[in-house]
Amino acid sequence: MGEALSLLPWIGVVWLFGIGLYGIVTSRHFVHLTGCLAAIQSSSYLLLLAIGYRYGAVAPIFYDKKPGTQAVDPVVQALVLTDVVIGATVSALLLALILQLHKHAGTVDPQAMRPMGRAGVADGRQRRGGRVG
Amino acid sequence: MNSVFADPAAWPICIVAGLLTLAGVLLAGAKIVPTLLSDIVTLAATAIAGGMAAVLAMRIGDHPALYWMGGWTPRQGQAIGIAFLADRAGAGATAFAGLMFTVAIWFARGHFAGARNHFHVLMLLFLASQCGFFFAHDLFDMFVWFEMMSVAGFALTGYALRSPSLDGALNFTILNTIGAYLILMGIALAYARANALDFSAVRAIAQGQPDDPLLIAAFVLITTGFLTKAAQVPFHFWLPDAHAVAPSPVSAIFSGIMVSVGLFGVARMVWEVFAPCPVVRHLVHVGLMSLGCGSAVMGAVMALMQRHVKRMLAFSTVSHVGVALIGVGLLGQQGLGGSLLYLAGHGLIKAVLFMIAGIMLSTLGGIDEIGLRGAGRPIWPAGIVMGACALVLAGIPIGPLDAGAQMMDAQARSSGLHGLTLVIGFAGALTGGAVLRVTGRVFFNLGPTSGEEDAAPTDDEREHANRPFAAQLVPVLALLAVWVLFGIVFASGAEDFALAAARDMTLDADFFPRRGLPHVTPVLPWLPALIAMAIASADLNRHHIPDAVYGAFAGASRPAFRMLQAIHDGVIGEYVLWMMAGLVFLAGIAILGC
Repeated sequence: MGEALSLLPWIGVVWLFGIGLYGIVTSRHFVHLTGCLAAIQSSSYLLLLAIGYRYGAVAPIFYDKKPGTQAVDPVVQALVLTDVVIGATVSALLLALILQLHKHAGTVDPQAMRPMGRAGVADGRQRRGGRVG
Repeated sequence: MNSVFADPAAWPICIVAGLLTLAGVLLAGAKIVPTLLSDIVTLAATAIAGGMAAVLAMRIGDHPALYWMGGWTPRQGQAIGIAFLADRAGAGATAFAGLMFTVAIWFARGHFAGARNHFHVLMLLFLASQCGFFFAHDLFDMFVWFEMMSVAGFALTGYALRSPSLDGALNFTILNTIGAYLILMGIALAYARANALDFSAVRAIAQGQPDDPLLIAAFVLITTGFLTKAAQVPFHFWLPDAHAVAPSPVSAIFSGIMVSVGLFGVARMVWEVFAPCPVVRHLVHVGLMSLGCGSAVMGAVMALMQRHVKRMLAFSTVSHVGVALIGVGLLGQQGLGGSLLYLAGHGLIKAVLFMIAGIMLSTLGGIDEIGLRGAGRPIWPAGIVMGACALVLAGIPIGPLDAGAQMMDAQARSSGLHGLTLVIGFAGALTGGAVLRVTGRVFFNLGPTSGEEDAAPTDDEREHANRPFAAQLVPVLALLAVWVLFGIVFASGAEDFALAAARDMTLDADFFPRRGLPHVTPVLPWLPALIAMAIASADLNRHHIPDAVYGAFAGASRPAFRMLQAIHDGVIGEYVLWMMAGLVFLAGIAILGC
């Protein structure tokens, strides 16, 4: 039982990473893609929390506990908290970029992206016919 | 206060905190501080930061020092605090970053009129987090600085708010964020084994359990993340899309220093933390060197096929950083020192080239090589600078780029790898040839017939600079002067410093002995530059080549070229799959090496 339970978070990590990755690869909408990125992010948090977990231990708050009581590792929790902040920044920035993209290009489909923008390739073709050819 | 300045170990935190505070103040006063004042203050701050780091590198000498934040020194052998490491590698890199930022911000004056001072705030944040990264001596601390730097970079890429730059910024953000989470997972695995995040503490555990699979997995994940930032094949796909569309001063920073930050991270991880693991050394020697070779070759071929000048320069960055990655993979002090010197030399030249591209954008109103044919004649001085830089890029035997290449080559020969000169020469000849072709076509009206580059993506972007051409050229010339200073006047000093920085970074370990520089015939070092000139003149005189000869050559190479163009199609999903393939490749080498 304990073995299976300690394996569970690891399966969760792989699962979350896998569906996040699948979502990003197949995504047709940038907001959906941002959500998938958050799933990958969550898999790293789950991994960190699983690493710091101790069976039968209390939360690492010693307000009403005797010093020396077995507690879960507070370091990984601090890491997760720090990274939640970074993740929120990245998500906010992504959503702002997507909003601007919607305003300027009228589409938010990642599959429609081409280097130098969608217009760039067609423009190049035109120019080739016009000036060089 | 006096004691802070007396103790050089405390300088890194002063540099980082000072830059961060200034960024905060400028942001708070965004509505009231005039742009000219923010220009002056930002320039002064970046110059002072770089200068302080340079003095620190001299003062710290052979005695790298740790600074424990808040006085949390290790208790009973347990590192519970977070430390900054002041050594010549970190301080030297910071000094270089300070120089690059100062020149880039100087060049950017007038490029962002009406945007208030948010550009300055982002640049200061960018520099501060880079400095933090260079000095970090703690896995998670390093990761946080890395992410801060990335976020500033993402925002700067999309600064122009045009559809292509937003696409590039999204691409950049998504791929690099996935890379960052891989780093975080790697750090988690390292922490699971070592119960510590300080470099020395993790290294001590690695020494005790050199074959631990958890540590090896941690290294694979962390390296994948850093290689994504360093834009190595197959993690490089975001770079040409982002560098090509970012504002030119920002592209100069990206290629000049940000990409090198990824490589610096890999080197730090290899030497300061994971070097005791034999599997990691095998992985670095085999895996990273093959990725470096792949990047050097593919970046060079792709560069030759571009018509969008900034995109071409971006691919050339992939190629040259690939060469530097080989230097890291050589696992010797001389190779690492050569790699650092090569990166510095490349950064200077590539920043100059991106600034010239910026001048083209603002004065000629475009960046398309074919569309601008002959348009550059009125600003021929820029063309001369660009041609000279192309020759340096190709590897003429002068300056830090070549000195670094020679150091790496000497190290490679001592490990029995004699082919490195070929890879370096190939990368130099093709990228140098590509830039020479642009110079000839845009500034000297050559090359009426275009070839394979015709099919490459392009854009009708333009930038607005409300300053005359001469004023824009001054920072470019200043950066070239620095190159001359380090390349010719202080050449041996720069070489010694790079070796000393490598010695600090490797903690004085050396897995392969050093050897003297090889004696070669006087013609050989000029060969890549001669080939570059040959490539450029063949491309520019295509109308003189008989159709049968050209047709046969183009017909033979077209399928490969088309395939390479096709995989760089800007679709994020495919780029992510390539990235995972790279991760599997590295993991496979690690498993086979066990």
